[in-house]
Amino acid sequence: MGTVHARSLDPLPMQGPELGVQADDMDLGEPEQEEKQEVLENKDVVVQHVHIDGLGRTKEDILTYEVADVFRAKNLIDVMKKSHEARQKLLRLGIFRHVEVVIDTTEGADALPNGLDVTFEVKELRRMTGSYNTMVGNNEGSMVLGLKLPNVFGRAEKLTFQFSYGTKETSYGLSFFKPQPGHFERNFSINLYKVTGQFPWSSLRETDRGVSTEFSFPIWRTNHTLKWEGVWRELGCLARTASFSVREESGHSLKSSLSHTMVIDTRNSTILPRKGALLKINQELAGYTGGDVSFLKEDFEIQLNKTLFWDSVRCCGGNYCLCLFIAVFYLGGPTSVRGYSMYSIGPQSEGDYLGGEAFWAGGLHLYTPLPFRPGRGGFGELFRTHFFLNAGNLCNLNYGEGPRAHLSKLAECIRWSYGAGIVLRLGNIARLELNYCIPMGVQSGDRICDGVQFGAGIRFL
Amino acid sequence: MSLAAEAFVSQIAAAEPWPEKATLYQPLKEDQILLSDSASSLAVQTFLRMCGLPVQVSCCANAEYMSPSGKVPFIHVGNQVVSELGPIVQFIKAKGHSLSDGLDDVQRAEMKAYMELVNNMLLTAELYIQWCDDYTATEISRPRYSSPYSWPLNHILAYQKQWEVRRKMNAIGWSGKSLEQVYEDVSQCCQALSQRLGTQPYFFNKQPTELDALVFGHLFTILTTQLTNDELAEKVKSYTNLLSFCHRIDQTYFKEHDRESQVS
Repeated sequence: MGTVHARSLDPLPMQGPELGVQADDMDLGEPEQEEKQEVLENKDVVVQHVHIDGLGRTKEDILTYEVADVFRAKNLIDVMKKSHEARQKLLRLGIFRHVEVVIDTTEGADALPNGLDVTFEVKELRRMTGSYNTMVGNNEGSMVLGLKLPNVFGRAEKLTFQFSYGTKETSYGLSFFKPQPGHFERNFSINLYKVTGQFPWSSLRETDRGVSTEFSFPIWRTNHTLKWEGVWRELGCLARTASFSVREESGHSLKSSLSHTMVIDTRNSTILPRKGALLKINQELAGYTGGDVSFLKEDFEIQLNKTLFWDSVRCCGGNYCLCLFIAVFYLGGPTSVRGYSMYSIGPQSEGDYLGGEAFWAGGLHLYTPLPFRPGRGGFGELFRTHFFLNAGNLCNLNYGEGPRAHLSKLAECIRWSYGAGIVLRLGNIARLELNYCIPMGVQSGDRICDGVQFGAGIRFL
Repeated sequence: MSLAAEAFVSQIAAAEPWPEKATLYQPLKEDQILLSDSASSLAVQTFLRMCGLPVQVSCCANAEYMSPSGKVPFIHVGNQVVSELGPIVQFIKAKGHSLSDGLDDVQRAEMKAYMELVNNMLLTAELYIQWCDDYTATEISRPRYSSPYSWPLNHILAYQKQWEVRRKMNAIGWSGKSLEQVYEDVSQCCQALSQRLGTQPYFFNKQPTELDALVFGHLFTILTTQLTNDELAEKVKSYTNLLSFCHRIDQTYFKEHDRESQVS
């Protein structure tokens, strides 16, 4: 460690500032007390060298893109601003533990009087980090092993591996991520996984083994992702008492699908945002690239947040999904239409919920800080009280009729609920909710959970 | 569900009469079903015809996975799903139909012993020939078993099934046997059956029992299924009374019955 990489103006492929000497830069030798203010604001400077200290396996060519902007700074404030931005860019590569910036005057034979040297002192992440946990829950114990290799080949590639060995099920995931040098938002990743899940509301057990590759790239202000996925799915019954409709679904199937997602996200946080909006549109087409499952799936999601008076936030959101030929959607539960049991809305057979081909759901929330603001500025900030109104409907499509009939079918028998509760934000990842719900518009066959309902998750309506 | 609860539920179910829409599920007849499954399915169908209970045969590619025990065939009667001949016989007995009521204890024990013989010898030999003989496995079993699925799932599932059967053969000690020895075992089993049958119409004289259904299922399927060679069928054909036994049951319960239902 401690290799110093100096970059000066000429050999770089990008443009650097001119070497011309400015007229008013000869004042550097004058008494500094009076000129301190001047130096900071008006002084034109030239960034002569940018050093990156502390590189080991990282290749320099990806870093030059991130720090190139620093050379374009004209005065000291600019240098500080652009160095800060370059630091953010270096950190978002995910290969450094921390990055420090040092700005100093140039020294040496080729030093200009107004020349500056900017040094980024970086500490790379370790070559491999691992974790080992044991988990107990849901009548199952398991051992989880995780391995992460950041910056595998020196250009911010990341390899992660997770393996979970349990008393009932085993699952694993292997993922390789590579960004394009110079354009971190353009990247591709390859994933290999096996996941198992149990769904008691449908008496179904599912094992998916799959491989997927995805490309992400930004276009103007939107982020697009193209993905191909191949999945071998195995379905089985969870109990001998599973309904026959569920039993008929048991067996193996192969899905090969192409999907495209467009996301515009201007929110300031994914959990409990205070402002901003989210628009996400996703299409998935399966069956044309092999496999024995064919369907077309559409998914629209929108969320708008606005801060109102007294620190409260109004959030309204909606979600509409449609799938041709297969019933894959479930609705209900503490993460979607509150007041109903988990995924317990819609067509069912002998107590098992079969899901539907289309659904819509919407919510209107008002988040306020806790009354009387206990723990203000600290722990209390993680909590919010929230008042909500949720509505939604799930149904199967009728292929003979047109879109108007489909819309009217979704508009009849709407399930909705309202209530209030407390929300706790867990880091930046998840959220816990404890609500008092009053479900309305309940249809026969739905299972409700009126009164107190607890929910934990990542994506909430 | 606990054992007590299951027993309670099956008691309740047993009280219901045989519905119109009882269905028997098996793999696809033309392209997918293999010799051993076909034999088991025919045995159950014969048993139900002997009891006079109507049943519809439905072919599904995923019948093996739908079955609660993983084996075909299985029947869906009212709310109940029961698989394999043994449990089905019990289930039908609880509904009040039985073919072996007229037997005394000694005969019943003998019947059970012969059924075990057929299961341990004939069925195992069928599985061996299908999956442990490389030529048959490559030419017939794997392509047929995986026909409903697309690439690469078809290869994965076929090999998975082959490994599973070979492991089972290993466990019961059949993996050391050669094909010739297996044919010999089949011949000996047929000899035992032939001796028991003698000149009687059915194994227990005048009335057919579940043993007759089981033997018919296996022997008729062996005689009418095309394998890579005819050795297995030849072994059965060498016992003439077994041949006429199969012919008789086919005439009585299948051809006559179908003709009657066409006329009426």
